[in-house]
Amino acid sequence: MKILTDTGLLYKRYMVQILRNPIWLFVGFSTPILYLVLFTPLLKRAIGIPSATNGSTLEIFLPGILALLAYASGSSMGFSTIFELQSGFIERLRVTPASRFAILMGPILAGMAMMLTFDACVVAVGVGFGYHVNWGGTALLALLLSLLAMLFAAFSVAMALMTKEISSFAAVINGLNLPVLLLAGVLLPISFGPLWMRVLAHFNPLYYLVQASRALAVGGFGTDAVWQAFAVLIPLAALTIAWATRVFRRAVA
Amino acid sequence: MEPVISTTDLRKSFGTRHGAVEAVRGVSIDVQKGEIFGFLGPNGAGKTTTLRMLTTLLPIDSGTAIVAGVDVAREPKKVRERIGYVSQLGGTDELATGRENIVLQGRLYGLDAATVEARAATLMDLLDISEFADRRVKTYSGGQRRRLDVALGIVHEPQVLFLDEPSTGLDPQNRANLWEHIETLRAAGSTIFLTTHYLEEADALCDRLVIMDHGQIVAAGSPRELKKEVVGDSVVLSLHEGDGALERARALVAGQPYVRELTGEGAELRCYVEDGGSALPALLRLLDGEKIGLRSMQLSEPTLDDVFLRHTGRSLRDAGGASGGSGGSGDRAGAGQGSRHSRGHGEAAA
Repeated sequence: MKILTDTGLLYKRYMVQILRNPIWLFVGFSTPILYLVLFTPLLKRAIGIPSATNGSTLEIFLPGILALLAYASGSSMGFSTIFELQSGFIERLRVTPASRFAILMGPILAGMAMMLTFDACVVAVGVGFGYHVNWGGTALLALLLSLLAMLFAAFSVAMALMTKEISSFAAVINGLNLPVLLLAGVLLPISFGPLWMRVLAHFNPLYYLVQASRALAVGGFGTDAVWQAFAVLIPLAALTIAWATRVFRRAVA
Repeated sequence: MEPVISTTDLRKSFGTRHGAVEAVRGVSIDVQKGEIFGFLGPNGAGKTTTLRMLTTLLPIDSGTAIVAGVDVAREPKKVRERIGYVSQLGGTDELATGRENIVLQGRLYGLDAATVEARAATLMDLLDISEFADRRVKTYSGGQRRRLDVALGIVHEPQVLFLDEPSTGLDPQNRANLWEHIETLRAAGSTIFLTTHYLEEADALCDRLVIMDHGQIVAAGSPRELKKEVVGDSVVLSLHEGDGALERARALVAGQPYVRELTGEGAELRCYVEDGGSALPALLRLLDGEKIGLRSMQLSEPTLDDVFLRHTGRSLRDAGGASGGSGGSGDRAGAGQGSRHSRGHGEAAA
């Protein structure tokens, strides 16, 4: 089918762009590992149990990093959209009969694949630090991470198409980062916060992912957090992608 | 024969902070199969906006456009299958090779891998790309990149190829080279629609063209027909200044019966005359008799700039000089009064 072929072609094209950009790859791989190396010792003290093993600290912290990476990979997707708007690449695509859905999803899926690769690295390094992997939980988590990355990537690309230039787009994304990250309990559990924060967190898609990821890290398949995350992220991702495709269709670049 | 492109009273306006700006105000054209058809005009004349409507990139406000037998507003998807488009920016992947760019483009048009490979080989020969086809585009020169852009536009053998300002940013040698390649395409049967603000490009390349200004067509025809409209020749007088010589010369020359029109600014006067050959000695005698110092005197046949000047009251070289941008929002170029015209060679202010 044309729509699948097109998605595949544009996925491959975007992958090639990423893999031929050594700086991007280096930063992509080193950032999450730095998080792990620099944060774990701090966190142990912050939690107040210096005697805690690395393994038990990582059970809380590492799933948060995976979620953070998914969010960061998704929300930064629009930067390449802006670049491609300015290079004329998107306009070139828009004059071809290529499916608009494929033009949106090709790069998003490629970004998602890279995100999963980075996440796998983080888990591998985590194992070196004493993190215990629950394989079933991790597989399910990979699904949730992908959903969240797609959701924010579609949003980010749509914002890029609407703002059309780097400074407004960067302002939107930067403005989004702080509340989304703080109200998700990525680095520190949201249960430390007051009631209003805990209420607000429920409007944040990332919050559900973080909650579910901590449950899944220890194999808690049946917990509420897990099904809630799926119930929130699946429809939200579908809606955002449908909206972004619409924006692509109408875009006047 | 059915025209390949046919528009009737095409219009487009853009909302801006200062209210709506009409970028295209009633454009009607017919382009025949196998023609190189040009839109000539300054930046902001509405050329690119018209082209973007024809290529499905911009919704049409009113009027109709039929491209390759299909109504653009009704079936944009079908139009996309039948046209090729090369934007001002090109839009190649810098990190991919030329060949990879061509193959991806062909695949997106639904060609299978084997067909695309064969087609890419033909195109690379035709446009002299083969030599560097397997290098990353990042390393290409401006001219090489532009030829690749054109290859991307025709990989699927479209019925009509749209080129938006094809030679902007190219040096004269690369420009001439690109023109040759465009001629080759036409010889192979393509229909080509291009916009340009280079007089020489329109003159050298187009079979027929329209001259646009402020969103409207001000003249249409073949370069020859258009230039013939500007009856006669023109003589450019470059004078020594001082002592009110310029004013005296202006009055004097304007009073001559064989001078049909007088323009120009500063120390340069441009006289439109019936017959340049006989006007030269007459003007020489006239100025000499009044002791007005003459620096130089030039006779030239009409150019498309004269056609533009005739219809708009200003020179395209001046009009095109102002403002950049893709001409999307109808930015009006500053309309300088006909000032310095260096004729014949060179190009419109780039």
